[in-house]
Amino acid sequence: MRTIIKSTDKASLDLLELKRYAGLLKYLSMRDVIVRYKQTWIGLGWSIFRPLINIAIFGSLSLLLNKGQSVRENYITVSAAIIFWQLISTSITDVSNSLSTNANILSKVYFPKLIFPVTSLLVCIIDFLISFVLYLICYLFLKDLPPWQICFLPIVLIIGLLFSFSIGVWFAAASVKFRDVKFILPFLLQIIFYASPIFISSNYIMSLHIPNFLKKIYLINPFVGLMNAYKYCFFGEFEFFSIKLLVVNIITLALLLVVSIRYFLKFEKSFADYI
Amino acid sequence: MSDFAIKVEGLSKKYKLTHANREKSLVGSSISSIKNIFTRNTNTKEDFWALKDINFEIKKGDRVGIVGRNGAGKSTLLKILSRIVAPTTGKIEYEGRMASLLEVGTGFHGDLSGRENIYLNGSILGMSKSEIDKKFDEIVAFSEVERFLDTPVKRYSSGMYVRLAFAVAAHLEPDILIVDEVLAVGDAAFQKKSMGKMEEVNQKDGRTILFVSHSMQSVQKLCNVGIYLKNGELIKNGNIDTIVSEYVNNGENTNGKYILTPPETIEFGYVTQLTIENIDENILNEIPVGSGWKVRIKFKIIKNTPHFIAGLGIVTSLDMPLRTVWSEPNDTGVGEYEIVFDLSDILFTTGDYKIIVGLSSNQRTFQYINNVFRIKISDAGEIAHNKKVVNTESGLILNPAKTIIKNIS
Repeated sequence: MRTIIKSTDKASLDLLELKRYAGLLKYLSMRDVIVRYKQTWIGLGWSIFRPLINIAIFGSLSLLLNKGQSVRENYITVSAAIIFWQLISTSITDVSNSLSTNANILSKVYFPKLIFPVTSLLVCIIDFLISFVLYLICYLFLKDLPPWQICFLPIVLIIGLLFSFSIGVWFAAASVKFRDVKFILPFLLQIIFYASPIFISSNYIMSLHIPNFLKKIYLINPFVGLMNAYKYCFFGEFEFFSIKLLVVNIITLALLLVVSIRYFLKFEKSFADYI
Repeated sequence: MSDFAIKVEGLSKKYKLTHANREKSLVGSSISSIKNIFTRNTNTKEDFWALKDINFEIKKGDRVGIVGRNGAGKSTLLKILSRIVAPTTGKIEYEGRMASLLEVGTGFHGDLSGRENIYLNGSILGMSKSEIDKKFDEIVAFSEVERFLDTPVKRYSSGMYVRLAFAVAAHLEPDILIVDEVLAVGDAAFQKKSMGKMEEVNQKDGRTILFVSHSMQSVQKLCNVGIYLKNGELIKNGNIDTIVSEYVNNGENTNGKYILTPPETIEFGYVTQLTIENIDENILNEIPVGSGWKVRIKFKIIKNTPHFIAGLGIVTSLDMPLRTVWSEPNDTGVGEYEIVFDLSDILFTTGDYKIIVGLSSNQRTFQYINNVFRIKISDAGEIAHNKKVVNTESGLILNPAKTIIKNIS
């Protein structure tokens, strides 16, 4: 096998090469899973406690907003959203940080750098699955069998992960040169959190007496559509739905994914020079 | 089929150096940093060529030693060859699988056990799971850490850590192996074992090895051909003995004064200048045997450095350590400093010596400069010291002993 390296080499997405490094992906994820809760007293329990604390806080806030709803229904709805949000926000954060946390490996060994964000995403999925299974059990116990719409759930989850991944990958590449990203990201996530139907439902926002353009801005946020689609899978009805919005969301996602990965690949070769 | 393993054509690498416009006072520097927010470019940029138009070809099965002073471009060359950084111009072709060992234990995680780290590190270096499975027992045997396989490596002694890390790397089976000074760690016995392993790898399977080291002894022992780099340019390549003698003879035309460029990464600070002086503080690189001499080191500290120590070592040209001296530990703030080591108390015999400089904070060395500074103790035949005559062939150290003769009969 002959390899040729030229200064004029262009970045490209080499899926075959990525596949050759599947073993590495496995061991890096294993490392992250093992190390994540090492030397903590509760251990893996943290992947349940973290969402649980959020549910306690925001479930109660939501009770104040939706006076008509039963307490039980309210917590079931908010919990579903919080668990999904936890997946989205941790994966955006971890994928964004994936290059800087692996800086020492990155500057000493060669392999496709896309391995790092993919690893981070995998670890977040594992974390999510634990709390998700627990939620499903509670759901069955407290409510009923989920509606047939639950079969859309895998699609919604994949779309959500692709969204987080695209945003994260772009931030990861940018953060190599501009450490500012580290400071911007938490604010951005906080804004998205409040501007998505997590504990403030879309119906509530739509019923508010605010100027129309504000509602439009609210709807452009891709996480509104996503969160509503996710809730649809569990509760069989839409808080808010429009086909126009769906098309806009899907186009946004596709664009974001292509642009982010291209941006990442374009700077991949100079990561080791800057990190 | 061609018979080369690596072919490099017109390879260059450019870095941009940023020079901040200096303000002497605190107020001045704060004002200029506020201004920077708006104007952005009060900094001047300069191109720095770490490598300039490098061309060479390496045959299959060659053991290549890359020599050159600090900053000559050796590490940059290795990083480009192992695809970690991209070249600015030029082309590299190589045959087969390449693995690089620029550091021992890349990706080792302190919280993981030895066993887990073998798999993790192996896969980072490019081994598949089945390859690691196959080699696992050999790796463990080589590293001599059987009993601690399930202990987190953060509890390992540094020797065990290095042995395990090297063992994984040594059992890689690439067609081309790139090694950067990793053998400088570990004790003498382990170094010997690792060198033996590298020779074995080369002889048994005819693999190509690229090896960077500052120890001319190891380079000469292991390699058959050499590449000599200086200031990013290839000075000479060919037979290892000619390369080493060229390097050793060429490297010391500095008249006792060394001005150093800042290293790639600066942690607390760095040495800017070193001079070798006689007792009258004249800069010389040759001191007549029997006379005292001093080493003056200037260094810059860029942030508060707790428990700062500057150390200085003297070794023979064959790398045998003779003496290590160091400053009093001190919490040191930002600034430029100078330290003078007066080395007049011990008289070494004629010959070439190397001076090693290390800066450390809290017992951890943050800059270590080896193989840059040299001093020659020149021959003056017989010398008199404290009214005693000593012969330069009587040993490495010429200081006479205090003797008392008593008549006890």
